[in-house]
Amino acid sequence: MKTELSPRARTMIYGTMCVLLIPFVFPTWWMVTSSFKPVSEIFAFPPQLIPRSWDFTTYGQVFALQPFAKQYWNSAYIAAIVTVGTMGISSMAGYAFARIRFPFSNAIFMVVLLGLLIPSEVTIVPLFQLFLKLGMVNTHWPLILVPIFGAPSVFATFVMRQFFISLPAELEEAARVDGLSRFRIFTKIALPLARPALASVAIFTFLHSWNLYLEPIVFLSSADRFTLPQALTQFTDAYGGPMWNIQLAAATLTALPVLIVFIIAQKHFVEGLAHTGLKG
Amino acid sequence: MAEVTLTNIRKSYGNVDVIHGVDLDIEDGQFVVLVGPSGCGKSTLLRMVAGLETISSGEISIGRRVVNNLDPKDRDIAMVFQNYALYPHMTVATNMGFSLEHRGASKSGIAERVNWAAGILGLTPLLDRYPRQLSGGQRQRVAMGRAIVRSPQVFLFDEPLSNLDAKLRVVMRGEIKALHDKLKTTMIYVTHDQVEAMTMADKIVVLNGGKIEQSGTPLELYDHPANKFVAGFIGSPSMNFVSGKVQADGLVASGVTIPLPDRAQKYVGKDVTIGIRPEHLLVKDKGLAAQVLLVEPMGHETQITVQLGEASITGLFRERLSLMAGSGVEIGFHTRSIHLFSAQDGARLD
Repeated sequence: MKTELSPRARTMIYGTMCVLLIPFVFPTWWMVTSSFKPVSEIFAFPPQLIPRSWDFTTYGQVFALQPFAKQYWNSAYIAAIVTVGTMGISSMAGYAFARIRFPFSNAIFMVVLLGLLIPSEVTIVPLFQLFLKLGMVNTHWPLILVPIFGAPSVFATFVMRQFFISLPAELEEAARVDGLSRFRIFTKIALPLARPALASVAIFTFLHSWNLYLEPIVFLSSADRFTLPQALTQFTDAYGGPMWNIQLAAATLTALPVLIVFIIAQKHFVEGLAHTGLKG
Repeated sequence: MAEVTLTNIRKSYGNVDVIHGVDLDIEDGQFVVLVGPSGCGKSTLLRMVAGLETISSGEISIGRRVVNNLDPKDRDIAMVFQNYALYPHMTVATNMGFSLEHRGASKSGIAERVNWAAGILGLTPLLDRYPRQLSGGQRQRVAMGRAIVRSPQVFLFDEPLSNLDAKLRVVMRGEIKALHDKLKTTMIYVTHDQVEAMTMADKIVVLNGGKIEQSGTPLELYDHPANKFVAGFIGSPSMNFVSGKVQADGLVASGVTIPLPDRAQKYVGKDVTIGIRPEHLLVKDKGLAAQVLLVEPMGHETQITVQLGEASITGLFRERLSLMAGSGVEIGFHTRSIHLFSAQDGARLD
């Protein structure tokens, strides 16, 4: 039975929620507003929540000091390839682990999951050696291949497997009677129904690739091949000190597509994670 | 259309045998109902005919073609599932035409067949809807439409009405029967509901513990059950059983003597279980003294349960008797209709 909240209780709940919101909203607010402030105003006391004077030239300087458009493109296309690749591999692997009976499938899945327990800092040196021998250092290949076959893909496989486990077996049996092969059942029945899970995998993977920091600084050395998180560190003055307002303008531009994608797709994201039994 | 023959079919999961050598002949165009309690193997048997479950040994043939090693798609069967198994992301029309599409039929051919099936099942106004926009009965009809659209040799139904409410079940029962009369295609129908079995089947196959207990027409099974299990399973309310020793004047069981038909004389001195259908119970003067336990009026008939000696007996009466729980009553039986079963193994004795 639903009970109507009293105005007082409602005020208290919303008040608490507003207070809890502050640590999440304030950094974003500070980043966006500070990108329009002169440096002196960023460190003014008391802090200015809204800039006294709006300085739009910082955004121009972002593109003047670095090949920022190129770096933006680098991040975008790498994230796109990683997202599509991970969706493809994780959906097929997840389906196989969930629906195809083969010897030791559970044990193999456990071994795959163990990949999540190994921090990327542990594997980065051997990976660097490997890609050095393959002649792929200072290319984007490591940033594409490592996530597609690494931890993000393992997590995505887990998400997809949990979704496919919940898919009624009768749907597949009906499709078998209708004349579909295993692969067609996957593409025509299972995959279209897995849209919520695929959406959450896509968002998660895109975010992971977009925010990747350690791998780019290890594998890339030319500015025109940098990705955005790495590029942000390059906005420094002659003494190596950060150019705060320009860096915050670049950070705002970096965060913008992620925020937009998440706001549009958050319903699917939550739905997809709900299917996995994860709380997200 | 085709006949279906099962020869010595066995199924084991590891060391556990679930189907113990089933032999069954289904004639071309026959409506056969596999019925039995939960876990008796009826769905497993149906799924083996469909090819969704492998057989451990034996032979299945459809239309005189052995299909043991064929995929479901190559057996020329269609199946209606308990939970309908409609593809949620496809419209009714796409659901119905899906199998034809994957068998390379032309678009116009698919549309023609879908419209034909939709016309038969009254689905024409619903063709553009999605399964989530349909009621349970409509979904069931779409599932049937998907099955009939490609005119298979055999239809398989796996408890298709068990998710519907009682009233809709009666309606759909009639629709499936009418569909069979119209298409004259062989149908194998699995249910645990003996009323469905009795009302729909040309032939009922009663399964228990992975074995066929008896097969025959509904009335053969009702009137001449091969054993106590079939006698108790077929009929609602189910048959009453009383165990005792046969004497010259009847069956002596816990303080009462129940008159028996003349054919029981050859069992004098033996332990026997008698079976009495509820409609063969009579309220009469100078009968056996019993006490009324329960009176359940249903309008068109009344179900009365009485205590006779240590046995609880249920009777079904068309008359509206003025009896109340706790009151005494004198009862008798249609003696000629009493069934005799072995007290040892439950096999029919006459």
